[in-house]
Amino acid sequence: MFNRVGIDVGGTYTDAVYFHNGRIQHTAKVPTQSDNLVETLMNAFDTLKISDEQEINQITVSTTLVTNAILQNRIPPVKLLLFSGNGMKIDALPWPVTYTELTGEMDFRGREIEAPDQKEWEKLQLQRDNISHAAIVGKFSHRNRLHEEQLAAYLKQHNPSLTLALGHEWGQANFYRRSLTTYLNLGVSDLYHQFAQQLQTAVSARNIQAPIYILKADGGSLPLAKIRPIDSIYSGPAASVLSALTQTSSDASSIIVDIGGTTTDIGLTLSGAPLISSKGAQIGDFSTLVRSLAVRSIPVGGDSVVRTKDQGFIIEEYRLGPACCLGGDRPTPTDAMRYLKLIDYGDEQLAEEGLASLLPPEQRTPQLLHDLAAEIIDRVVDRIAEAVDSLKREWKEEPAYKVWEVLHPHENKEFNTIVSGGGARGVTTALGKRLKTTVQLGAFSEVSNALGAALARPTFDCTLHLDTYMKQYRVEETGEQGKWTGSLRPHREVEGFLETLVQQQVAHYGIEIQDMEKEPFDFFPIVQNYQTVGQIISGAVHLRPGVIGRVQE
Amino acid sequence: MKRTGILFFPAFDWSLGDSHPEREERLLYTQEQLFEEGILDLPQIKQFSPRVATMKDVLRTQALFPNPGAHTESLDPHLISAGSSLLLGEAQVNGEIDNGFVMARPPGHHSGATVWGNRGFCSLNNEAILVNYLRARFGKKRIAIVDTDVHHGDGTQDIFYHDPNVLFISLHQDGRTLYPGSGFVNEKGGPNAWDQTLNIPLPPGTGDEGYHYILENWVLPRLQAFAPEIIINSAGQDNHFTDPLASMNLTARGYGRITELLRPDLAVLEGGYSIEGALPYVNLAILLALAGEDYHHVREPQKLKRTTLTLAALKPYIQDLQKQQQTVKQSFTIQNKPYFPKGNWISIPHSVYYDTEGFQETRHDYVRECSNCAGTVYIESRRYTEKSILVRIPFEACPICEQAGYDLWDHLQKPNEGFANGMLQNQLHDKQYLWNRKEGLMEF
Repeated sequence: MFNRVGIDVGGTYTDAVYFHNGRIQHTAKVPTQSDNLVETLMNAFDTLKISDEQEINQITVSTTLVTNAILQNRIPPVKLLLFSGNGMKIDALPWPVTYTELTGEMDFRGREIEAPDQKEWEKLQLQRDNISHAAIVGKFSHRNRLHEEQLAAYLKQHNPSLTLALGHEWGQANFYRRSLTTYLNLGVSDLYHQFAQQLQTAVSARNIQAPIYILKADGGSLPLAKIRPIDSIYSGPAASVLSALTQTSSDASSIIVDIGGTTTDIGLTLSGAPLISSKGAQIGDFSTLVRSLAVRSIPVGGDSVVRTKDQGFIIEEYRLGPACCLGGDRPTPTDAMRYLKLIDYGDEQLAEEGLASLLPPEQRTPQLLHDLAAEIIDRVVDRIAEAVDSLKREWKEEPAYKVWEVLHPHENKEFNTIVSGGGARGVTTALGKRLKTTVQLGAFSEVSNALGAALARPTFDCTLHLDTYMKQYRVEETGEQGKWTGSLRPHREVEGFLETLVQQQVAHYGIEIQDMEKEPFDFFPIVQNYQTVGQIISGAVHLRPGVIGRVQE
Repeated sequence: MKRTGILFFPAFDWSLGDSHPEREERLLYTQEQLFEEGILDLPQIKQFSPRVATMKDVLRTQALFPNPGAHTESLDPHLISAGSSLLLGEAQVNGEIDNGFVMARPPGHHSGATVWGNRGFCSLNNEAILVNYLRARFGKKRIAIVDTDVHHGDGTQDIFYHDPNVLFISLHQDGRTLYPGSGFVNEKGGPNAWDQTLNIPLPPGTGDEGYHYILENWVLPRLQAFAPEIIINSAGQDNHFTDPLASMNLTARGYGRITELLRPDLAVLEGGYSIEGALPYVNLAILLALAGEDYHHVREPQKLKRTTLTLAALKPYIQDLQKQQQTVKQSFTIQNKPYFPKGNWISIPHSVYYDTEGFQETRHDYVRECSNCAGTVYIESRRYTEKSILVRIPFEACPICEQAGYDLWDHLQKPNEGFANGMLQNQLHDKQYLWNRKEGLMEF
């Protein structure tokens, strides 16, 4: 049985869970000292009362550090150099950062249309402008990285201390997102490495030799040294989806609702697999290629302020202190729950007074107060249900590009709902009625992110794009580009090739993988003058997000 | 900026043959280009996923001969293409989007009122099925289709030839030099829809400038006069100078300008087989123009090497063509068969060649001359020894034409008439009936 530690480093609290022989031994919740993460982490370890440090197999950490740094605009400037080529005017899309456009163009097969112009490079003057970080991204560089590498070599030669990032390493299509992802990943790298060091220091200080893994936005974990910093964003919502997975049967389809103070996160699992967003993650003003779980965050929670408006009330997106029943001075959904005796914490009298303030004096009768409280909860539940519908639409309305896909749409599934977070108990009944599912309360909901992190297994994806005519292959996830020396119309050969790539990468990450899912290969004959001259082939293997065990209470 | 819907359905698992132009690869590079540009990240662009058209949707517009069952095996991709047009058309009419681009395979504009098989890569007419769907379901009355594919949209013309409420305009390379060999200025519509079909055959070598000139000076005024509620563009991309099957000289930016001039509510992809040199760029330019974005930076890598007709050389040709078109007068033959209901039935015989499978359909079309409606249509169609019939009671049929349709339909089913099967397309009440002497009647 496994011995694992899961840690969730949040802005306010750091939560931790210690699994011993597959069972939760201890949980911890300690304040996050943002100026002293090492101490925070050591405190967490101490609270876990780990009996034998040597027995721990793995530590998995989820953190909002990178997410918050981006959202709070705390990333150092990066010079963004683009080979933007022809096509859509680049400023048709909203760019949250400035960029410099350079001559040089590739096409969709990776053929050079126009060579770069070195004279433009000479005028860049990065040194004069004190630039230490630069990202170079070309349109179609995921098909041919030549221009990016030429410019990188040039810049390195003139400025050896420059830290560079190249866009082709993000090998999916979308020049815009590739540019911003490359930018962000470079921008947060120093911060991330600092965090990694602190983490390592704390772990070593507590004599733990277990490998450290980081939770990613797609719900998978990877070794600390192998993860790309930007992949660590949104690991919180991912962890809460994983935590729900630890509490259901392995093939269940679940709606996962995590009600916080001012936001509620909603996720979906389908036959045991979390729904992955078809687009990359959006963080602040940045659209990225980061693979993430499809999650909706809605600005409503137990502490959201309820305010009178016109003849009724509205639930605001913000919080002004705790609920009335917990000593605050603004009525909130928590007060409605307390008044209806759906939760047992907080002062009933204060909850009633808070709710009463929403009604004109003559209407403050028990019946009307009861109606009001019920309506507030219904309103919260409605908002959750809308988000659930939107997630289900995202699942059902995935674009289909093949006849087979259109003729075999997703079958309906029987869902259950798992609700966790402070207000969970208060909405159970209303949520079940509205969503027409059974509702289960999440266990250990005060440390659910740490729990999800602890049991996360690695995710792994390897998507091959092979153009036998151009004799080039590329791997989407790593941006690897290489020469194809096989036949023009390979059959079994390409399966073996992908298998080798997978083994190489798995070895590189140092992870163990099982349950690998193979996507069937797509073969596109390339025809010139009615002759087949080669093939474009794509195929992929995936290890979907999941958990290594289930929670036994 | 316009809210623009896109339905991208490249049918990556379907082709008409290994090295056929209509193959898996056709929209692969378009996908690469569109996705790489980040076009789906434009805030005004909304992507839709395809749906399958129902048989009722098809039969409202086209008769599948000898019966729909004979086609079902090969029809799936075509039903998805048609269904995708319906989906996006619906979104436009509902106001969910301002305009849209159905970028789906396979195409449809060579598929006519009667269908025995695939011709010109088309089995079902996506735009026509959409037009009649919008009329039947959303009460639309006047719709215009502008076909900018390099080939004459003969199937669409066939479907609406007798329909005064659908204006069909086709610009194409002269039928004397290109498939399907039709689309001359004298094809102006049936007796009840005279002048609602406009064919503009263009000489090989016509380029952006000439094409835009014709749009501005001929097509747009005609559209304006018709005042349609909806404009649909059959957006074939084979006018591009790199197209392997045709000889025109348009550029991707030229296509952007066409879209900007026509301002279609919906563009529906038709042909275009320069899958690397043209399609990625032309599709991008059209989409950008629809979305109200600048398309002037879209530039295909190849340079135009063929000589393009100058506007000065083209102008006299166009003026002459326009004069010819205007001077064509109606001349129809009345041919009343003994069992025809009362009225004058105009006979228009013609034959249709199915190039994909290589056979001929022989047709005898009759339309009841009527000054109050589009007139009931009666079509006898023959392939080899098989014979099928279509009776169409048009949208907004007058009571006399409606009754004529029923009378004809009843007559054909009589035991001593030599017909084995047929179809009643009652557009007035949106009912379709299939009849087979052995199996009887089936309603849709």
